Amino acid sequence: MNEKLKSKLNRISRKNEPYLFLVLVGLCLLIEVRSGQFLTVNNLVDIASALIVPGLFAIGAFMVIISGGIDVSFPALASLSVYTATTILLSIDYQGGVWLAFVIALAVGALLGAFNGLFIGYFRLPALIVTLGSTNVFRGIMQGGLNSKQLATIPPGMREFGTSSLFTARNPISGLTSRMPVAFIVFAVVLILVFLLLRYTMFGRGIYSIGGSEVSAHRAGFNVVRTKIIMYVMVGMIASAAGVIRVSMMQQLHPTNMLGMELRIIAGVVLGGTAITGGKGSLLGCMIGTLLIVIVVNSMILLGIPTSWRSVFTGALIIIGTGVSARQVVSLNSRKKFKFIFSGRRRA
Amino acid sequence: MRKTLFSVLLLVFLVSPFLFSAGQAEADGDYEIVIVPKDSSNPWFVRMKEGVDEYREETGLNVYQRGTAEIDATLQAQLVQDLIAQGVDALCVVPVDIESIEPVLAQARAAGIVVITHEGAALENVDYNIEAFSNVGYGAFIMDNLAEAMNYEGLYTTMVASLTVGAHNEWANAGVAHQKAAYPKMQLLESLPRVESHDNGDIAYNVAVELFKAYSDLKGIMGTSSYDAPGIARAIEELGLVDKAFTSGTGLPLDNAALLESGIVKSLTLWDPAEAGKAMASLALKVLEGEEIAEPVDLGIEGYNAMTFREGSDKTLEGEGWIVINAENVYDFGF
Amino acid sequence: MAESLLKVIDVYKSFVGVQALKNVTFTIQPGEIHCLAGENGSGKSTLIKIISGVYTPDAGHMELNGTLYKKITPIEAINNGVQVIYQDFSVFPNLTVMENLAVNSELSEHRKFVNWKRMRLIAQEAVKKIDFEVDLDEIVGSLSVAQKQMVAISRSLLFNTKLIIMDEPTTALTKKEVHNLFEIILKLKERGISILFVSHKLNEMYEISENFTILRSGQVVATGSTSQLDRKKFSFFMTGREFTERHFKAESISAEPIFEARNVGIENSFSDVSFTLRQGEIIGVTGLLDSGRTELALSLFGIQQIDSGHFFVHGKPAVIDSPKAAMAHNIGFVPEDRLSEGLFLPQSIADNVVISEIDRLTRRAGLVDKEKRSNEIVKWVKELAIATPNPDNACHTLSGGNQQRVVLAKWLACNLEILVLNGPTVGVDIGSKHDIHGILQSLAKAGLGLIIISDDLPEVLENCSRVLVMKAGKIAADLDTGKTNESAILSYMM
Repeated sequence: MNEKLKSKLNRISRKNEPYLFLVLVGLCLLIEVRSGQFLTVNNLVDIASALIVPGLFAIGAFMVIISGGIDVSFPALASLSVYTATTILLSIDYQGGVWLAFVIALAVGALLGAFNGLFIGYFRLPALIVTLGSTNVFRGIMQGGLNSKQLATIPPGMREFGTSSLFTARNPISGLTSRMPVAFIVFAVVLILVFLLLRYTMFGRGIYSIGGSEVSAHRAGFNVVRTKIIMYVMVGMIASAAGVIRVSMMQQLHPTNMLGMELRIIAGVVLGGTAITGGKGSLLGCMIGTLLIVIVVNSMILLGIPTSWRSVFTGALIIIGTGVSARQVVSLNSRKKFKFIFSGRRRA
Repeated sequence: MRKTLFSVLLLVFLVSPFLFSAGQAEADGDYEIVIVPKDSSNPWFVRMKEGVDEYREETGLNVYQRGTAEIDATLQAQLVQDLIAQGVDALCVVPVDIESIEPVLAQARAAGIVVITHEGAALENVDYNIEAFSNVGYGAFIMDNLAEAMNYEGLYTTMVASLTVGAHNEWANAGVAHQKAAYPKMQLLESLPRVESHDNGDIAYNVAVELFKAYSDLKGIMGTSSYDAPGIARAIEELGLVDKAFTSGTGLPLDNAALLESGIVKSLTLWDPAEAGKAMASLALKVLEGEEIAEPVDLGIEGYNAMTFREGSDKTLEGEGWIVINAENVYDFGF
Repeated sequence: MAESLLKVIDVYKSFVGVQALKNVTFTIQPGEIHCLAGENGSGKSTLIKIISGVYTPDAGHMELNGTLYKKITPIEAINNGVQVIYQDFSVFPNLTVMENLAVNSELSEHRKFVNWKRMRLIAQEAVKKIDFEVDLDEIVGSLSVAQKQMVAISRSLLFNTKLIIMDEPTTALTKKEVHNLFEIILKLKERGISILFVSHKLNEMYEISENFTILRSGQVVATGSTSQLDRKKFSFFMTGREFTERHFKAESISAEPIFEARNVGIENSFSDVSFTLRQGEIIGVTGLLDSGRTELALSLFGIQQIDSGHFFVHGKPAVIDSPKAAMAHNIGFVPEDRLSEGLFLPQSIADNVVISEIDRLTRRAGLVDKEKRSNEIVKWVKELAIATPNPDNACHTLSGGNQQRVVLAKWLACNLEILVLNGPTVGVDIGSKHDIHGILQSLAKAGLGLIIISDDLPEVLENCSRVLVMKAGKIAADLDTGKTNESAILSYMM
């Protein structure tokens, strides 16, 4: 019994999430001490609102990394699908609700995701190469095929969706207000669905299994190819939903300003304890990691970091994020060795 | 099966660009003059392209605009190098980053290509640089508009695309200098006198939200890039600061009609990128034809028909092309 | 006579022109432990895959539980109670023991949703079958190799199992773990489960199996009762060659030691280890896996640094704190896992041979002297009889034994005096093993001093002049191989 408790505690101490959570709390306190503005209602709502789009992207990136792959194409994919949806709606002068924008964007996203999935799952090409390539293909289709440009006006349904709020938080001292966008519900629903999918369906366990050992997954009876393709389709749809939300919230569409987000998103996922080699990580950790990045990026003025040092700071964060994962691998190996040596002593 | 399908897909990929590009035919003319904007999707440069296309139709010259997909100094430098290799006659560049484009422009000139720039006064390896106006004049002009909105008092700071964009920083510096000379009741936020928007409305918005939170007495933000003021305006609106905080800066009329009409932004400043594009092409043509460039330079384009050299410079020509946009005249420009 | 569980009759299989199996026939009775042996490439894996339904035979058929199958699908094989435990155990290192145990049966029942309570019950049922004590919530990646194997075995028992095929199950196990495995196999036999035990180790065959089948070049060369097999016959069936054992007799041993370890130790690994090595000598170091022998081997080449005691080379104190320092004292090292440590597999054989003497082949400008390089390569390929049509081929095109020879060549090429070999014949088939032993003995005769770290006692006895037995980090005995035997050594090890 005692032994059992010990091993349980041991397992918890090996988990990432508690440490990450401590780091998060520490960071929040630091910002609060420096600015006195962090733990105000409106700031917390602002952070939640800023988490929506990176959070959705992170969920998709997380699934891919768990399966042992990597996806750098999601910003381009999201841009292309939301651009397609918006231009279609504008061209037919659509006056209805935002749902049609989601339907079109998700359909395009599914198609583009299937493109990634086909090359990665069926043709078994390396995920990094495929998604680097598809980033360029998607961007090229937007540039060359659709002649994309910035759209200053978006369909009324999207505009309304972007400005409607669940509630408005008001800071009694400064009088500043912040809206909690309705889109937060979309994020929450996707998060819960993906959590249930990964935890309670064989499909979700298949993603973890493939990330652990593709050969074993195949031998155990998982349909590896199908699982991968379906997963990339889902990731494409999640990214496209994020695209629609982003454009709705910004009230205008810029075809390229999501590009380049992938590095920070992946850094957040890895920072959250997801092993870049696949198979290991929790959605909770992934969200904490993403939240960390979002808070840091959106608190540099509150922290008092000079403008010219901002990019150094984010860069350092990315290095730390990926460094943590590398350290994990190293420390896991050395732990094994120590365990082995000590058990040897005991036996002797 | 897998291999066949793969080959077919590969083939489709290789062929598809030709299908897309088949429609593009090049206009004929003696000189090939290429305008290279910062990027090709920003409506500012879409508008510039309209001017360039119009100029081509008016003159029948082989003048066209070619830009990179996104704002990226390295990509722009590569594009310019490609154009040098193509052997164009003149390059008119709106530089993203002065330091990374300078050596490439030197290559262009070494290859005998005429180099005209816009918003690149600090560049050395150019024949001429065109400014729609003097940076000092325009910066002061933005400040006048911001000061008016702020009722000539209160704390403000400045926003630029990035600390490396030459023109934006010159405007911001001039705006600050003008404030110190003309509006003594206004104060610059000394602890954070300049922030960056990276030419991205979302970043401008997030930075502005944070600024207003961190500095509760901040009353104004001077924008420079065309993404700044709209992004700041969104922050002002969401934070419930309409009529308490203000912004002004560069912005396109139609894109910001709603903002101006709602009163969140009182006025924006501008010059017409279409005219700037034409002016560059026109100046390039003059240089190619060996005309003497002497003050006042008349490029035959409104706001650019009596250009003078910037003080102490024999390369940078300045016009008087600035305009103010407000709720009344926002629909008068047609873009 | 009871009805056979499995009959394989006249099975043929070829792959693009290569005949992998030819006229293979053998039977397994219920509850029989049958050993399938053969060298690498003899067709063992192909046969396993045919029985488990992965491959379809070109001709011939199988009988399972009395039913005749021209070909069988993987599902049919499983439904007939056939389970394969692969060398990598097919486990998911990132998942818990519980999930690893339950996932296969959940999949075979086509479940779409996960019920963690049901998973736990399945897992508990599985471990109970072999009384395997393990924390079900532990991550499999942090288990020992033997525990992973237990996970794979208990998982396979969830399916009304009648035949378990174990592909080289003892490769990475310690002696004690092998012993445990055999106990479990015997328990399974009691329950009427047959085991097809794939191995190429004769002593294991003796210990566990009743009957054997030996494959060579895709054909059954011998089948029958294990008790009628002896070492000589076994070697002959496996390789088709006759070997005479060549007990190493050290000749022309130098008077002065070329290498000496005096009271060396690494905290928590080994301590107070002293020995001397003379020219022309081969000394063996043996012991259990956790006796400190591996650490000692690594410290001799500076991969791990000793923290007490001293090394002497030619009687002078020598600091060996890095492989570079070791090489400077003309010490060479052949690692245990030749695949991951000793070779750059995708590089050419030639590059691998010359990599450690690259300094000598480099001209002053930093460029490699091509002519010198190719002379050197030709010399070593010939001297060590590396079987390759072209030394520019990538190293992984070679068989295990030939790869081992490349590793040897690599170190010999730099004028060594002392060569440390850690498990020189691990995973190498009999023929190559024999050849490698020949090489080692001739190296000693050529004047090198060799230290062989190995747990293969027959190998140590055959090739070494002396053997140091390690136990719990100390030298338990220093024995003359001419005057000792396996059981004596074992008694010092345990």
